Amino acid sequence: MSENLFSNDNVPSHHLPDLAELAFEPISPVYRKVNLGICVAIISVLMIMALVIRFQALISVPPPLFNASQYALVIVPLIGVLFCVYQWFADKQVMFALREQDLSLKQGLIFRRLASQPVLRIQHVELKRGPLDRLSGLAKLQVFSAGGAGHTFEIPGLPIARAQKIRQFILTHKDIGAR
Amino acid sequence: MADSDKPEGAGGKTPWQRLPPVAIVYFIVANVFQFVRQFIVGVSVLAYSASTYDIQGSEYFIPALITIFVATVCSGVISYWFYHYRIRDQHVEIRDGVLKRRNMNLPFWRIQNVKIERPFYYRFTQYAVLVLDTAGSAEEEAKIVALSCDDANALRQQILSAEQHKNNDESTTPMCTEDSPDAGSHLNETVINRRQLWDLILHGLTNNRVWLILGALAPFYDDIGGAFYGWIDAIGLSPEKLFPSDQVAWWQISLYVVSLMLVVFAVMASVSVAGSVITYYNYTLSRTADRYIRRSGLFSLQEVSMRQSRVQQVAIKQDWLDFLLKRANLFFEQNKTGNQQEQELHATNKLLVPSVTYDEAFILAQDALPDNRLDDISYLAISRRFLYRYFALFVLPVSCGVWAITHLEANLGVWSYLWSLVTAVGLMSVVYLRWRRWGVAFDSQYCYVRKGLVGLDKYCFALHKVQQVVISQSIFMRRRGLANIRFVLASGDVTVPFLSHKEALHMANRVLWEVESQRRSWM
Repeated sequence: MSENLFSNDNVPSHHLPDLAELAFEPISPVYRKVNLGICVAIISVLMIMALVIRFQALISVPPPLFNASQYALVIVPLIGVLFCVYQWFADKQVMFALREQDLSLKQGLIFRRLASQPVLRIQHVELKRGPLDRLSGLAKLQVFSAGGAGHTFEIPGLPIARAQKIRQFILTHKDIGAR
Repeated sequence: MADSDKPEGAGGKTPWQRLPPVAIVYFIVANVFQFVRQFIVGVSVLAYSASTYDIQGSEYFIPALITIFVATVCSGVISYWFYHYRIRDQHVEIRDGVLKRRNMNLPFWRIQNVKIERPFYYRFTQYAVLVLDTAGSAEEEAKIVALSCDDANALRQQILSAEQHKNNDESTTPMCTEDSPDAGSHLNETVINRRQLWDLILHGLTNNRVWLILGALAPFYDDIGGAFYGWIDAIGLSPEKLFPSDQVAWWQISLYVVSLMLVVFAVMASVSVAGSVITYYNYTLSRTADRYIRRSGLFSLQEVSMRQSRVQQVAIKQDWLDFLLKRANLFFEQNKTGNQQEQELHATNKLLVPSVTYDEAFILAQDALPDNRLDDISYLAISRRFLYRYFALFVLPVSCGVWAITHLEANLGVWSYLWSLVTAVGLMSVVYLRWRRWGVAFDSQYCYVRKGLVGLDKYCFALHKVQQVVISQSIFMRRRGLANIRFVLASGDVTVPFLSHKEALHMANRVLWEVESQRRSWM
């Protein structure tokens, strides 16, 4: 067996950095507005479709579709409101924290989740910006580790300048790329 | 050919190499497999029509067969013709593809794993397939399709030692202190585990290895089904033979069902044993200075190697039958390359030692993760609320469903209560066993996780190899101060549910501290 660096010293637990003491920062409030906007837009489109099917007189609609449109007029706004309420409160919960050695992300309303990613284990960093992100000046920071695609650490809704700073922080960190 | 494979001194232009002609066989087989995989629907339609219409009687049958045969051979020859490779300056270069040309340049240091395969059609030649695994996507996997075994071994040696040199230069692998460039050579290789035929038979019985054979037989299911019924009929087990009249007693039918089930189980078990023996025949696990090498196979020989320092996790897994026979399957798991979903047999990221005894398992685990305490550590149990949750979300609804069906639909009266009670007790004991098995433990270097139902699965990983930690809780768990913890490793993730939130936080802190303060490599 190879020589290993075995030691069995006591680790005083109060010396450990504590995740419970993380100083979390909120993401941009614009993120929540964008999400609400998307929600409202989808509901509006669905509602308009249902209204058209229900009230237009130009072409004859098959009866099942006609009946479905009646239900849709009630159900779509109901689900829509629920979604919006959820989004309103859930997006408030998305927060991140940077420490010298790791990034953490807290999110979730019903299911809370706190993920911590050591910088030492980061393989590469990406800034992702979809069309809506570009319109609203936001960016999504994706951090990849060897943990695989299912465990990509992602901070959504960052103002672009802040996202670039964090990216720079990670890239200039002395541990990045260490295997 | 052996001479031109040596990259040393290849300063100038190294000419592109063509493979030996035996590679045509490889390409033919590979193309046929690819064809079948792509047109599986078409093939099954064809197979169906073959059984319905009299295709053999058609005048086109023989010419069509000849055309298919010639096309298959031609495809092999063309693939062979367009395949070139060369090795120079510590790079493997491969040019292949007919319509979609591919030019691949693979530096030695990017090669994660070198696998030597000997398909059954190479068994009586001196050739082997060299599979070079990279950290990239599955499409980046490179194969040198036919190399003589000596060349393949020599090239593997060069690639591995190049990789080791690089790692030694960077001194990123403190676990490996071997300086000799010859490290990993066959010279200092020792066999640390062998599987005998008896072990493989046990493995076939305790683990469902039916798919190893059934997977290859997929296009012929229909015929096999027909043959099976014919056989059942012949041995006098068909219902028509057993119950010639309409009046049969219930015990006759149940006897029939039971005996038919026994026959089916016996057939399944023998197929599974055959699968296990064919794939793991003559299994050896060898150890070099820094590597494990697994060799096995009855027809096609497989050789997979894995660096010790790359082992992320050791898993000892057991089914209920394994538990009764006191055996377990041991896995050395390393990082997944790309996101390919490979079968356990071909996967290079998992090295399986089939059906070992507990003692063997712990010895092997000690070898991969020195000073671990898998055999005697005591585990921290998870919260009792795990039971309540699964009672409310799983046992109660299912039992109510059983009651509703038996009472309202089948009108069983009082019996329906009994049925739902039996269901509830059965399911609850499953949940109880699950809860009972689940546990987590830490020592100064490793984290241990235990879970299972009847059999025990034990996992052990070094704290410093964790990639990410996730703590999660629902609002109900939050109210009770509980949380789940998930450790993400390069080989996959390990979750422990229903720990106290304080405990979970402490574990996460501990792991992060270990990763960040030790700064050791995970590779």
